[in-house]
Amino acid sequence: MKTLIKYEFLKILRKKSTFIVMAVSLLLTAFLFGLPVLQHQTYDENGVIKGSRGIAYDKAQAEELSVPLTEEYIAETIRGYQQLFEDHNNVGFDGSEKFIIGDAYWNFVAPREKLLSMIAANYDEPGENTGYNKLPELDMTDGADFYQTREHKIESILNDPSRKMSDAQKEYWKNISDKINIPLQYGYYGGWEIIISSFELLMFALLCICIVIAPIFSGEYQAKTDAVIMSARYGKTKLITAKIAASFIFAAIAFIVHILVACGIPLTAFGFSGWNLPLQIAGTTIPYPLTFFKAFLINSGVIFLILMAMISLTLFLSAKMKSPYTVLIVLVPIIFIPMFLTPNGTTGIYNLILLLLPYRASMPELSKYISCQFGGMVLNVFAMRAILYAALTAILIPLAWFGFKKHQISA
Amino acid sequence: MELQLQHLSKQYKAAYAVKDVSASLAPGVHGLLGANGAGKTTLMRMICGVLKPSSGGIYLNGHNIKELGERYYANLGYMPQDFGFYPDFTGREFLMYMAAVKGIDEKAAKRRTEKLLYMVNLTEAADKKVKSYSGGMKQRLGIAQAELNDPAILILDEPTAGLDPKERIRFRNIISDFAKEKVVILSTHIVSDVSYIADTILMMKQGKFILHEPMTSVTDSIRGRVWELFTDEKTAEKYGGHFSVVNLHHEENSVRLRIISEAPPAQDAYMVEPSLEDLFLYHFSEETSRKDQP
Repeated sequence: MKTLIKYEFLKILRKKSTFIVMAVSLLLTAFLFGLPVLQHQTYDENGVIKGSRGIAYDKAQAEELSVPLTEEYIAETIRGYQQLFEDHNNVGFDGSEKFIIGDAYWNFVAPREKLLSMIAANYDEPGENTGYNKLPELDMTDGADFYQTREHKIESILNDPSRKMSDAQKEYWKNISDKINIPLQYGYYGGWEIIISSFELLMFALLCICIVIAPIFSGEYQAKTDAVIMSARYGKTKLITAKIAASFIFAAIAFIVHILVACGIPLTAFGFSGWNLPLQIAGTTIPYPLTFFKAFLINSGVIFLILMAMISLTLFLSAKMKSPYTVLIVLVPIIFIPMFLTPNGTTGIYNLILLLLPYRASMPELSKYISCQFGGMVLNVFAMRAILYAALTAILIPLAWFGFKKHQISA
Repeated sequence: MELQLQHLSKQYKAAYAVKDVSASLAPGVHGLLGANGAGKTTLMRMICGVLKPSSGGIYLNGHNIKELGERYYANLGYMPQDFGFYPDFTGREFLMYMAAVKGIDEKAAKRRTEKLLYMVNLTEAADKKVKSYSGGMKQRLGIAQAELNDPAILILDEPTAGLDPKERIRFRNIISDFAKEKVVILSTHIVSDVSYIADTILMMKQGKFILHEPMTSVTDSIRGRVWELFTDEKTAEKYGGHFSVVNLHHEENSVRLRIISEAPPAQDAYMVEPSLEDLFLYHFSEETSRKDQP
């Protein structure tokens, strides 16, 4: 079996098309994940700082903010911002909104703009985003009440009638959310932020891997090698297993290489810092008690399962269709049509299907509280996707296997 | 060793590609003759287990090949008509790959590959990519892969198609070397290919066997019915309308006709020894002439 897998793997690698498709895919992945690095820019008193200098400047400023976000620290920060408004020389007005200007902006606001936005968003109503300029309006006489406010906000989200959550689902999210360590540790997470928000860009890589795998069976029909191999001793047994195994091995290696490229570029540019910080510093209502790194691992795992299911579907179609091109005619719409469809909420069959289809399923949807209830069991979006794609893989592999075994060589 | 075909049929909608074919094949070279579309390839595909019969069965030593599964395929070597290769593999790699698919262990596969490459005269080209091979080299590589497992049943579907005369002779010799103690089914519509090496002749027409005879007596059915005569061109055309003319040869001012007929077609016609080609043309003259029509 090892020898058969080796040769099947060799057959994949030897094709010029494999090299071309993978090279294009890696370049595209590098470009897409490298774009935020190239486009990164920040500002100081003297103007724009671009590229690596800008990143270094941001990181240096953020170092001072690597602190636990205690109630005291948050209250102090909000008060500090409110005090700036007391001096009219610090305040600008654009006709609709007041904001901090001059040295006060560069010394206090600019270094902690992200933190202030995160704090301010905690006090917004669900679905609202007013920005940190509303912070002066907060009543700070009894302190910031930051975490209490967060809990209330989560309550509001769970009780939002449009979400149609059952009591079990609400209980599930409360329990999950309760596991988050408080106070939150703040810090710099620039690289991880890009990775977490760009997962769906890996869809191109997934499609390219499927393109390479598409001829596994149909390529034999097209090249008219099917008769020779299928009349050989293991042609209808071990060879099929070897072809499937070689496809998965290739897909797994290609996926790992793409992940390394996709993560390597932003992490090299922005640094690894932030890997152990909680997701909630990017959005306080995110319910998952995960660090950026754990969230990355979980979503990468889900995308890997999506890839496995797509490979299984590709193999099934490849076993059934006479040409690799017809395989792609079916695959491409499955991947790309959902790109143009937008969910209109988090409930209902349409949204559920959309959120489970490969393109949307690659997005972690961390703050959307998407869940499903089966009897007494509640599954979050990661679990739903993982189970769905693992099940599809388990169903499609035998179908692909028997599809090739039953192939008839007729005129 | 006996390969039995029992009431084998393959039906596509209303049409039969192969209809109720039965035969018992012992070791030896069996030349399968028939015009294009006679059902030879369909029959061979069924024998090789790559096409399911609509009815009937194939038995090896009394065991249905469906039940034998891998044990049957281990005894089989198949060189299909118009088959493909992996262009990015070298000849040696292709044979090693096929050896793996045939379940031959790596050491034995290496030995067998080298031997076969030598036998089919491809040793020097063994490390060149298959895409650089000529048609004849590909055909030789094709028969080498069929022989890898030293099969008891060797099925060769139009192995000489597209080869030049020199390559065809070389190929016939290779087949003769491989054929010892095996059931070899050699399908072709090139009569001379089988007339040299076949032990028995199977003739197929419209999906059925119309003849299954040893090579030594295959022409007996038309013995005493093959005539030759000389005539002029105008009269030669008239003979075509009344007799089965299997050959027409222009010689200076006359035409030499070869005719199959119960009675002498003309007073000056003389009887000749029948050949396999006569037999073939006798049975398929209608189909070949139909094909020749624009």
